[in-house]
Amino acid sequence: MTEERTPKTAKRPRRAPRGIRRRHVLLGAGAAAGALAVTRVLGLHHLGDFPTLGSPAETAKPTSLDWISPLERPEAQVGHLLRRATFGATPAEYELSVSDGFKKTVERLVEIFPAEPPALPGADEATREKPLNPLNVQTWWLDWMLKSPTPFAERMTFFWHGHFTSDLRKVNPQTPFIYWQNLTWRQMALTNLQEILYQVTIDPGMLRYLDLGTSTGRSPNENYSRELMELFTMGVGTYTEDDVRAGAKALAGWREPLTRAMYDVLVKNAQEQGRQVPKNLQPDIANTGVFERQRAYVGQVKFLGETRQWDTKAVLDKILSQDAVAPFVVTKVVREFVTDQPDAAYVKRLADSFRRSRYDLRTLMRDVFSSQEFLAPTTYRTLVKGPVELMVHMAKALETPALARSIAMAGNGMGQTLFDPPEVGGWPSNASWISSNNVLARVNFAQATLTGMPRIPAFKDAHLLHLDGVLSPATAQLLGASPDDATRWLILLASPEFQLK
Amino acid sequence: MKQIGGTNGLTRRDFLRSGLVFGVGAQALASGYAAVPDFLARAVLSAKSAGVQNDRVLVMIQLAGGNDGLQTLIPISSSSYRDLRPQLSAAAQKAQPIDKDFALHENLKGLKRLYDDGKVAIVQGVGYPSPSFSHFDSIRVWETADPARKQQDGWLGQAIVKNYDSLGHPLVGCACGTTSIPGALRDLQATLTVIDDVRTFGFQGGGNVENVMGTLYKSTPGIYGALFDTAMSTVRDTVAQLRTSAAKYTPRAAYTDKVQLVYSSKNQLAAALQLASELIVTGTGVKVLHVTLGGFDTHYTELNRHDALMGYLDSAITAFHDDLAAYGMADRVLIATWSEFGRRPKENASGGTDHGTASPVFLIGDPVKGGLYGETPNLAKLDQLGNLSYAVDFRSVYQEILASHLGVDARPILGQSFERVPFVKAQAS
Repeated sequence: MTEERTPKTAKRPRRAPRGIRRRHVLLGAGAAAGALAVTRVLGLHHLGDFPTLGSPAETAKPTSLDWISPLERPEAQVGHLLRRATFGATPAEYELSVSDGFKKTVERLVEIFPAEPPALPGADEATREKPLNPLNVQTWWLDWMLKSPTPFAERMTFFWHGHFTSDLRKVNPQTPFIYWQNLTWRQMALTNLQEILYQVTIDPGMLRYLDLGTSTGRSPNENYSRELMELFTMGVGTYTEDDVRAGAKALAGWREPLTRAMYDVLVKNAQEQGRQVPKNLQPDIANTGVFERQRAYVGQVKFLGETRQWDTKAVLDKILSQDAVAPFVVTKVVREFVTDQPDAAYVKRLADSFRRSRYDLRTLMRDVFSSQEFLAPTTYRTLVKGPVELMVHMAKALETPALARSIAMAGNGMGQTLFDPPEVGGWPSNASWISSNNVLARVNFAQATLTGMPRIPAFKDAHLLHLDGVLSPATAQLLGASPDDATRWLILLASPEFQLK
Repeated sequence: MKQIGGTNGLTRRDFLRSGLVFGVGAQALASGYAAVPDFLARAVLSAKSAGVQNDRVLVMIQLAGGNDGLQTLIPISSSSYRDLRPQLSAAAQKAQPIDKDFALHENLKGLKRLYDDGKVAIVQGVGYPSPSFSHFDSIRVWETADPARKQQDGWLGQAIVKNYDSLGHPLVGCACGTTSIPGALRDLQATLTVIDDVRTFGFQGGGNVENVMGTLYKSTPGIYGALFDTAMSTVRDTVAQLRTSAAKYTPRAAYTDKVQLVYSSKNQLAAALQLASELIVTGTGVKVLHVTLGGFDTHYTELNRHDALMGYLDSAITAFHDDLAAYGMADRVLIATWSEFGRRPKENASGGTDHGTASPVFLIGDPVKGGLYGETPNLAKLDQLGNLSYAVDFRSVYQEILASHLGVDARPILGQSFERVPFVKAQAS
């Protein structure tokens, strides 16, 4: 408001933010129309002089340009790491990592033990009468993504949430299972694949989501057996349909646990309706699946070439002994954190080390981030942030941790509702996030967030901190032409650069 | 039609080779993508003689998860059906017979009415050789029309690129009620529109923000640069288009998404079809629309869940058809369903069914010559894995849609010719 009354002649500083110089700009291009509009973007009615950055030669047509990698600079290395291994950084997190340097930051991220989020009140007691509120569970997790002191563990929890996915519609909010699953995924996130697969197999949410909880030896359900091999460990084409059927028999015998709260509701409903509660029905203490021998398959089956009587651990060990597993999991990790097109030698190198380490996740992730490929110029800005990554990074950049609920609500319109992936394969990636719908929704989220903030933090060097100072001609020109920090933030957060990592 | 090469002597293959292919993220996204610089895409498309062949429109409805054909078109006279499905065959009693052997699911009331009017064709036993039981793999096969899995582009995307000027008219191909481009529409060189919710499809902050964003998304570098820039210019075109079309359209049928599904993806099939109707009746130049209804992966307690899905699907399609009819546009629009596979004939212990093979495809609308096509599935003669054998290659269905409905050359898209399934009426003109 005061700014509006500032006389036009006053010597307000109108400098472009530090560091936007020609050498950061790849190629000049006209941006005059946008520059005119940029002064009024947020409806703040800034009058007065227009762009200070000189307009380069008119409409130079682009050739096949690429981003110029800044990854030889230590602070850009750290920025690159924090965008990919975490959800982007607050200025404080960034500064700490810059002073630690790249190597020490990798060690700190990978070695630390995942910090537990505060409990979500009432979640353990979810029942038909008091179901989980999906928005509350989503907000609870997003809040921890914004605040956790161990953001890498949170990023890995999010990775497993996409890999070993479940959706709360099928898992059902009338149980605590999807909430428990998030706690389990975090605890197991940086252990080893053997432990992880066992936790996943007996997870109550997973038992329901992929139907292992209702599968029996007499009439096995193939859903979990198939996805365990196809999506979780080995990949399509590395097993036969007979293996799927044999695996279903070999894994059968688990059921979901019945919580005390769910049991109490059953009893109460039965009494109200004058029905007997079955005598053998008791609440379970465990918060994992319950194995019942009488539901399992008795007898030998041939699974992945070996005929024997199986149990769940033996099935998982058999899978882990397959050569397909390490490359499959490594490829998924590399595509998420390094490049969408990993070359075979890179995957093999990481996979060999991963398997030698007995599938230790810390070993794998340290190898990934320490690899030459991670900092290769060709990997710079070759991954597209998903909606959650994007919005959490926005909130961190704006140092506004109170955005969890807005982020939870906005995800739907961008294709990412936490705990509700579009399909059993988890989330889309990279180019598939780019559609007209999503680009609009992303820009709108930035605009709505800034408009809703009572006080917008100073822009300072945000373009260096979050974008390594590598800007397209259009972004540089618009930032330079922006009359105030609110507009600069909008340009930065809505820019194509900020969509990438 | 072999001028995909473009002006600079670069072929699409060169782009693929030079490492511009990307996006094969999760194996879920079996179809690949590639970026092509904006200027080249423009050159390629403008070099093509863009001619709209007719005024026909295609609406594809994906039943995601694998729809159980045997619970949709129910073989009521088959004793094998009852033997294989002691629980699920309960659906047969309430089903609506269309002849002595088959009945439509009881909740497909609107479709039954349209069937009786000769506006529904059902092709039975649709599938492909050596079927995949993986959702993603089989979806990819259906999306690319290529069981050899060499093709990366979607069959509808290819149809658009080869026949329409999508860069000049981004609404030629549009996905409604979703946030990303469906694989069937995807093509390296097609410009496509995606509208999740028409009510929020506009710039917060209005025209100033829109202008700034138009400038911000210009000549963006990097492998995704052209995709981002095209997406933003498509947004701006679409916003302008919707501004005029919304004023000209009021739905003339009752669309409702207030349904209780036991579980499914978000319930907005009706809203998506209502948007499709708006785009069709207001003359936006839309040719190919894609919408999706999820929740068909019925491994457990199938009866309730599938019943609810059938009812919802039926009400949405019926409203859509009635709306188009009220606008006098029903004779231009063909609705077709597709699903990655059917389900195992034998039910499982969870009261559901596992992944199967062949299943029926529904074709709905005034352009259709109603009735049953294909072959009755033989439940008494299942294959080694206990699945149905397919009788009609799904590309036969695509061929009829492309050639007889859209009036485009199907062969370059499908790579070969298939036996005809003549479910489209001959066009008058």
